[in-house]
Amino acid sequence: MATNLLQLLQGYLQVTTDRQQIVAANMANVDTPGYQTRDVNFQQAMEQVMNPGDDGPQLAPASLNVEGLPERPDGNNVNIDRESMVLSETQLQYQLGVQLIKEQFHELLTAIKE
Amino acid sequence: MGLFGMMAISTSALSAERERAEVTSANLANAETTHTQNGGPYVRKEVVFSAANASPFQTVFNGMGSDDEPAGSVSISQVVNDTTPPVMRYEPGNPDADAKGYVAYPAINPVSEMVDLMDATRAYQLNASAISAAKQMVQESLDILKTT
Repeated sequence: MATNLLQLLQGYLQVTTDRQQIVAANMANVDTPGYQTRDVNFQQAMEQVMNPGDDGPQLAPASLNVEGLPERPDGNNVNIDRESMVLSETQLQYQLGVQLIKEQFHELLTAIKE
Repeated sequence: MGLFGMMAISTSALSAERERAEVTSANLANAETTHTQNGGPYVRKEVVFSAANASPFQTVFNGMGSDDEPAGSVSISQVVNDTTPPVMRYEPGNPDADAKGYVAYPAINPVSEMVDLMDATRAYQLNASAISAAKQMVQESLDILKTT
């Protein structure tokens, strides 16, 4: 049971890290002409992480272009406010994952000690 | 790649933005330079950013092999000269004046350069905050080890 949950949490951390990396790439390209904002499809990425063996290993993260953002004349549609928001959001999600993992280990330790 | 890949991406943006700020400062400093080594007035420079836009396969490949230029990082592909013709001012006493008494000044608008500089500073700050976010996340995952 505990290992299953730990695996799930590990996958969750993996997906949040991927998302954080994509946000960093969006922020890095805030001035690159023609750059389009990217994001992670959370559900698809989570499925990829949880079921890696179904149809061979899926190597690319499930990222997609974000639709509906206003585009600047140079073809760039990175929105700093959106990226900052997603950055904090992902950071908190990561924190949550870490806390839950710590909790799992704590439970295990309690079971050993009792 | 993970969190360190994220730091590498943000670092590439930091150096790109810093170089942009450098070029902009050079433009500002030389706004009144009428005399250069190549002759003629200073020519305004402009940076061109380009993304290391890797395909999914390349993304994977980068992840497996070397860790330079991760997908999504940014770099300055070239520094181009602004082709706007120089501004001619009538200053017959100037040693750089032509036969008619006109001096060619670089076509630099200090206001637009200042805006460019501010833009570069803000982008730098943005990426610096992304780096500290990554740092905090690494710090947090280290905390898992401390569980007792």
